[in-house]
Amino acid sequence: MKSLTTFFIVYVIALSFIPIVHQMFIAQSSWRGYGTGAYAYQSPSYFVLFNDPYDGSSKPNIHVNPSFAPNDRISIVEFSDWTSYVDGYNLFNDFNVTIRASSKLLDTTYTRPGLVLHKLVDLSSSAVQVKIIANKEVNAHIEMWKWIMTSVNGMTSVNAPKPTVIPTSTSINFTFNDQSLNAIGLGEISLSRVPTQIGVWPFESGFNRVTVDFINSEMTFTVSGSITEPGQVGWTYGDLPYVLPIIAITVVAVYLLVERYGQKNKDHTRRSHR
Amino acid sequence: MDKRIKITLAALIVRLVIAPFFMHAGDLGTIYESSAIALNGGNLYNYVYQQTLQMQSATGLPVFFEGYAYHPLLIYFFVPFYWIYTLIAGPSSVIIGGHFPNLPVLVYPWALIAIFMMKVPIILADVAVVYVLSGFDLKKAEIYAFCPYIIFISVVWGMFDAIVAIFLLLSYITFSKTSYTLSGLTYGLSLTKLYTVVLFPLYVIRLWGKWKELGQFLLGFSITLIPVLYYLIVSPVAFLNVIVGFQGSRVMGGVNLYNFVWIIPDVRFDLLLSMIPSILLVISVAIIVLRYGRRLPLVEAILAVMLVSFVFGKVLNEQFLVSIFPLILLCRECDYRLWVAPFAFIFLRSPFYYFAIPILWASPYFYDLYLQADTLWMHLQTAGYLMIPMYAVGIAFSMLLLWNLIQVLKVSRPVGAENTRSRSLSRAVRIRRK
Repeated sequence: MKSLTTFFIVYVIALSFIPIVHQMFIAQSSWRGYGTGAYAYQSPSYFVLFNDPYDGSSKPNIHVNPSFAPNDRISIVEFSDWTSYVDGYNLFNDFNVTIRASSKLLDTTYTRPGLVLHKLVDLSSSAVQVKIIANKEVNAHIEMWKWIMTSVNGMTSVNAPKPTVIPTSTSINFTFNDQSLNAIGLGEISLSRVPTQIGVWPFESGFNRVTVDFINSEMTFTVSGSITEPGQVGWTYGDLPYVLPIIAITVVAVYLLVERYGQKNKDHTRRSHR
Repeated sequence: MDKRIKITLAALIVRLVIAPFFMHAGDLGTIYESSAIALNGGNLYNYVYQQTLQMQSATGLPVFFEGYAYHPLLIYFFVPFYWIYTLIAGPSSVIIGGHFPNLPVLVYPWALIAIFMMKVPIILADVAVVYVLSGFDLKKAEIYAFCPYIIFISVVWGMFDAIVAIFLLLSYITFSKTSYTLSGLTYGLSLTKLYTVVLFPLYVIRLWGKWKELGQFLLGFSITLIPVLYYLIVSPVAFLNVIVGFQGSRVMGGVNLYNFVWIIPDVRFDLLLSMIPSILLVISVAIIVLRYGRRLPLVEAILAVMLVSFVFGKVLNEQFLVSIFPLILLCRECDYRLWVAPFAFIFLRSPFYYFAIPILWASPYFYDLYLQADTLWMHLQTAGYLMIPMYAVGIAFSMLLLWNLIQVLKVSRPVGAENTRSRSLSRAVRIRRK
């Protein structure tokens, strides 16, 4: 019986290290599918989540890993299918969607009669590219959300109308405060061509979304970001793989202590016969 | 009034009072939806298989639709009560949607009646367990009747492991009384949830060499396979995909040591990793059956196999312990307080208010409170705070199961001293005669 206990303890502790092993040797720099149907990519600097076909948010949600807190993930910008339209058709409600991933490229195909659209997500070491390619020239309205941007292209939300149309260019720069780290972040969205319109939406003390309208068959959004001023680093979800082995060892140690010093073979069912 | 009747009635009343107002929307919704499909003559496995194909086509991943993935017999326990419900309320759907992660739409007041009716078979199974146990020992029957964990699983959650429990208990009793045909039949009925399949080799090995008795057992068992045979002929691909494909390729997890898997967002890797417990399960069950199958008294042998399958098996949901809880109560070596771990785990995996949806959905004010509470819960979940106690409770429960397994194995007798009549049953009968 002792050998069974020993085997089991070794088994429990060994398995607790698997998340770290996976994170270090397998999960880096390739698309991985979740059990829900979503996909995720972890590069050295960016974490990208692309939600499952049954959810219109996070299509994709681009996060940066701060250099001073590499386990933390700070969202820079989230593309939304809920609020994006192509030729007047909503990307979430009006298209059939299929997702396919190779190790480096995520290809989401949106189809409806007469219209095929690909959203390709590709990562380099310095940025995340979201490329939209259609089978014909389309009139597109793409929305990107961030709660919240304190300034966009140097403009703040004071007295700004809703929405505020800003001068068109191929670059959208914004700043934000991250509350979890109490830090200031910078984000940039570079466009492959000048759009027909860029709008920002005031919300509370800043902006919560950027809209880009274009008429073309192709547009690339190159997103990059950084956290410039480190604040306080606290607990993050990314710390979990390092905590699990400690929990496993602690629980096993408690079990061994109770087994050794606790009351042995206390028969609780026997009391019922008295 | 006879004390036995009193306990049984008290167990019944407690359950009837709670039943209409709580549910696990995903699980009870599945049974409700499946009962409607079955009553209308639909093929449940085709429906689930089509959903799975659609999901796999959309995502490009080996993901499965989590619908009706049980023995075909199960739905026949629920369909009569669903039919009675439709006589009262009509055929319109009153629990709409609710498959995780969606929340259901409930149509009042009919939804409460539907929830109640879908729980009647579970309540009857629970009450039957109490009645049968009270024939052995009133105190044990009381423990089962009023155990918060059992009540929660059956009438708050609406999970039907009590049906497995009653048939497993009856299978044990009838086997001990050498009624092998009945034992095979009731064992087959316990397979309404497939995790008791690990007991099949145990029953066979205990009757090995007694060919007539083995034949009787297999005859009883084979009756329960008739619906399986039907679906294998009518829709073999869908049936095998749902039963073998889904159950066989589920990602590990539950109240066990495998919860670390939830922080590895890589379904292909998770599935590959889930083969480790599957292999260990086969090896460990084979060892227990071959080495201890005939040397342990029957109740201990059944528990040894079930406990080892819980310890090493890849999926151990919160409710699985209900199935062997009556046998744990009949076994002197086991500590029935095991239930505390899966009971605690329920509230770490699902927020307590989720089970109160039938109450909270009745008012926009409560609905708003639900959404506010859920925002906080989601924050705790996405930050990973809940993962730590979940993982700890999972490992602790596995260790406790292991401890109980070791206690059970300690009572094994030398080879040649086998006795098919359970020591626990004999003891229980002696107590009753006193």
